[in-house]
Amino acid sequence: MVAVLSKSAFKLPRVEKEKFVLLLRLGLDYNREQGVFSIKSYNNIEKLMDTIGSVLGTEVVFMQNCTRCGRDFPCSECKYNDLCATKNLPFSCVCSQCLRGRKQFEAYLERF
Amino acid sequence: MTRNDLLWVEKYRPKKIEDIVGNEEAKASFVEWLKSKRRTKKAILLYGPPGVGKTALVNAAAKEFGFTVIEMNASDTRSEKAINEVAKPATAYIALDSFSVGSKGNLLFLDEVDGIAGNEDRGGVGAIVKIVEQSRVPVIMAANDPDLDKLRPLKKVSMLVRFQQVRIPRIIVLLQKICLLERVKAEFEALERIAQNSRGDVRSAINDLQSLSEEDHVLTLQDTVMLSSRNKDVTMDETLRAFFSAKSIEEVSTLLRYSSVDYDDFLLSVSDNLPKRYTDPDELATAYNFVSQADVFRGRIGTENWHLLKYFFNSLAEAAAVAPESYKPFQFISPPIRIITLFWTKGKRTTLNNICAKIGAQCHVSIEIAKHSFIPYVKSILQKQKGGPIASWLKLTPEEVDFLIKMGRF
Repeated sequence: MVAVLSKSAFKLPRVEKEKFVLLLRLGLDYNREQGVFSIKSYNNIEKLMDTIGSVLGTEVVFMQNCTRCGRDFPCSECKYNDLCATKNLPFSCVCSQCLRGRKQFEAYLERF
Repeated sequence: MTRNDLLWVEKYRPKKIEDIVGNEEAKASFVEWLKSKRRTKKAILLYGPPGVGKTALVNAAAKEFGFTVIEMNASDTRSEKAINEVAKPATAYIALDSFSVGSKGNLLFLDEVDGIAGNEDRGGVGAIVKIVEQSRVPVIMAANDPDLDKLRPLKKVSMLVRFQQVRIPRIIVLLQKICLLERVKAEFEALERIAQNSRGDVRSAINDLQSLSEEDHVLTLQDTVMLSSRNKDVTMDETLRAFFSAKSIEEVSTLLRYSSVDYDDFLLSVSDNLPKRYTDPDELATAYNFVSQADVFRGRIGTENWHLLKYFFNSLAEAAAVAPESYKPFQFISPPIRIITLFWTKGKRTTLNNICAKIGAQCHVSIEIAKHSFIPYVKSILQKQKGGPIASWLKLTPEEVDFLIKMGRF
């Protein structure tokens, strides 16, 4: 099973103090009022995801946002997933439909 | 220089922050730090592989926010004195133009700080740390490898922002855009190959695209064939496989030009593998003849006569193309047998050298003379009289005595 999280806000089950401190140290931020975590620093993203995964007991995946159509999609959808050295970060990419779609590309170019 | 003569990396250099492809989170962190009036850290260290937009981001952001960039990069000497001469005045005072509308003053940018090394740059890191502590302007540094010990003091005083390789789809999109603007027709698969080979390095991807593009010609996947060996660190196995399966001398010559394997190791590997490649004795003899020619050229090249390298390549290419039609896949011997032998016998050679050093110290001779003139006799004496006085006189340990007695040819 894979847990798909949103980078801006996600909830985690209750963890011990050491784990909580570790999560914050690795780059998470905790919103006390809403009780949700968000990512503040991306420098240790791999370790952070491993730790979140160990808390949730499953593999963690962050959704990617397509820079062209705005759709959210997981990295597993991408044909370059095995070749990609930067899985999960940044959180924006180009989805497979947009990559080969000529009309979408022309729409994208119009932005420039 | 006309506009068409421009390098595309220059022509399409990002002018705005949003033009920089990928690393959105890193860009956001950097911009937030630069815009902040009360920075927790006075310096920022941008680190990550080459060609991902670190320098471009600094220049684009400076332009967008009205900073004047004072830059020192790897081409400058960055000793304590040089840094103090350039960076101190730039950071110690607020520039007069910062009071004018639209200007925010200076910004010190030290590119490739991991390249500060050697006698020329002595004291450079320490000087930067001092400048960061006293600076009144933002100090930005960029590095490829931040894990170097010498950069530890810089990391302590800086905010770290990590840049990652740019993803393949993002590079493909950028290449598509350039193709459209340059009126280059390209197959999607060709752009895909260029993007994959760039390993997340946008700069090299654009350079590759420009080098492969021609007017009135559709860039096809076939055109990008050589890219895989240019951008990748081609392993010995890959080079050997391509070498022995080559169909022509030209193919081998091109392969060798682009491969970055060690020539001496490669020559040894070719020599080891030739009997597996050519089963016909005549073909094998011809191939070995060419390899010996290549060896002669390698010897003449030495460390300075690199103009002879083409003859070395030619001889090797001829050895590979003695009988192209007879190629059948086989398992390569790699690394070379000689290297493997040296690796496995390193322990034995070290022990023998230690023994020779002890003999040398007692008999007042060099290690080499001890090895060739004394060892055979010492060995013979010890074989007849293991616990004799000679072992204690030479201060040999029981393990060393055993080693000498059992030692074969050396």
